[in-house]
Amino acid sequence: MRRLGFYLGCAVLILWSLGPVYWSLVTSLTPPNALVSDQLHLWPQQITLEHYGKLFGATSTSQGNEVQSVWPQFSRALFNSVLTSLLATVVTVVIAAFGAWAFVRLRFPGRDTMFVLIVATLGVPAYTVMIPLYRIMIGAGLVDTYLGVTLIYVSAFLPLALWLMRSVYQAMPLSLEEAAWLDGASKLYTLVRIVLPLAGPGLMATAILTFLSAWGQFMVPLVFSPTLSTKPLTVLIPEFVTRNYVDYGLMNAAGIVAIVPPALLVLFLNRFLVQGLMAGASK
Amino acid sequence: MTSSFVSKRAFLGREARLGLWLSAPIILIMGGLVILPLIVTVVDSFFRVEPMKMGTPFVGLRNYIALMTDPNVLQSWTNTLVYVVISVTIETLGGLAAALLLNRSGSARRWLLAIVILPWCLPPVVNAIIWLWIYNPSYGLLNGLLQSVGLISENQVWFNDRFTGLVLVSVVHAWRMMPLTAIILLAALQSIPFTLYEAARLDGATPWRQFSLITLPLISSGLAIALSQSTVFAFNLFDEAWILNGSSMDTRSIMVQVYMMAFQNLKFSLGMALSILAMIASLAVSALYVLRVYKETRFD
Repeated sequence: MRRLGFYLGCAVLILWSLGPVYWSLVTSLTPPNALVSDQLHLWPQQITLEHYGKLFGATSTSQGNEVQSVWPQFSRALFNSVLTSLLATVVTVVIAAFGAWAFVRLRFPGRDTMFVLIVATLGVPAYTVMIPLYRIMIGAGLVDTYLGVTLIYVSAFLPLALWLMRSVYQAMPLSLEEAAWLDGASKLYTLVRIVLPLAGPGLMATAILTFLSAWGQFMVPLVFSPTLSTKPLTVLIPEFVTRNYVDYGLMNAAGIVAIVPPALLVLFLNRFLVQGLMAGASK
Repeated sequence: MTSSFVSKRAFLGREARLGLWLSAPIILIMGGLVILPLIVTVVDSFFRVEPMKMGTPFVGLRNYIALMTDPNVLQSWTNTLVYVVISVTIETLGGLAAALLLNRSGSARRWLLAIVILPWCLPPVVNAIIWLWIYNPSYGLLNGLLQSVGLISENQVWFNDRFTGLVLVSVVHAWRMMPLTAIILLAALQSIPFTLYEAARLDGATPWRQFSLITLPLISSGLAIALSQSTVFAFNLFDEAWILNGSSMDTRSIMVQVYMMAFQNLKFSLGMALSILAMIASLAVSALYVLRVYKETRFD
């Protein structure tokens, strides 16, 4: 009886978590005229790659007419998403890897005040600083540039990354580093050659969390990436709505493409992800 | 900390200089892009800052007073409050149930965990689009399913009703955020020593008594963290409301209101004042949880 309840619970949980994603996938593979039928089919009756063709093809046909594909915009936004997310991840992880170690192992003036101040900004929502930030970025000519967007992402994700990396270094025995110092190795050399390789899983967790946050950003690029020169997928996809008719097949296909990188991360690296989340949640 | 490597030559020792060098990028980025703008936000909220008007005169509390009487702002507060109540409830109950299941799932845990965590990892915008299609008045899955089980007889335009709209937006938000609550609670559950349950079973405690006397008190700190996380995120709800129903007053959250004020109507200082109020409110509510939960579950 209890076993049955357990399996039932698991089934509900799986359905709740995967159901909407499954439905989006089915929609993206259903021909347009079947999408607007009154009949509800939980399994696709016939599968078409038409919607993906519109995203990736030069031109495509829809109901006999040749239509302009969205590939030029789509490819650009995809590239922007990948580039800004990777840049933000690399910069955040590198700064946090060195900075957090300094906060844990080195003594320097203002260290503790600074750390408290930075972690406290976790409680400051992005929009509270967004308006002055907008004016700063306009003044610096950084609106709609990769540098500007990356810097904003880094400033948003750095506190959590520092927090995670600090807990990683704190859990490492000091004796390892001390042994290297006694052998005459410099502190920086010890960090790079001995500490960082051991911090691999922690760095990985930090990188995954940062990448996922950057990949999903919407409000920041909505303001700071107004044109296609830096506009990411998350801002482009909703714009498919505002045409004279809403192309749900296209939107779901584009959504599925945007889902692929995070889904792959969850599939193959969920161990690091969960560790990171658990470490981030506890004190 | 060993300081045997500090050289006495310079004003600051070697260690201190290395520390400052390594934290310099952090100071620059956080100082310039978060702390400085935060101070500007606070200061400017007492001035009239609008790019369409000349000058930035000091207006004291007038921005804040204007916010108190603006009907759009008041309705956004109500909407946000409803979002917080509904989504935090769903996330906490659902997250607790998911965590209990995950905690008992043994060898399948890794895969179940991957499935549960997936919605949290997806871009919120894409989530909202997936649900927008599910909620579609003519061809949506929700209408189809409810009709096929006979709960409704004809297609509903869900966002015609304000409260239904608020619930539907909250569901999308809770769908995304529940995994975080589940993970936090799972971590708390895993820290409970198994022997406690064995002892309780020997004393003949029912599963419910075990849950309420052992599990709940021992995960209370995790619960406090989860509650304050989900409250802060629900306060900041923007993407879901924006994608599902645009700037409609029915579902406009306080964040959408800030965005409209600042970037559509270009009333910068009003937007800044409102964003400060929202930040204070969300932090205050989450602090309240933490205090409450800690107080109620003290053992002494």
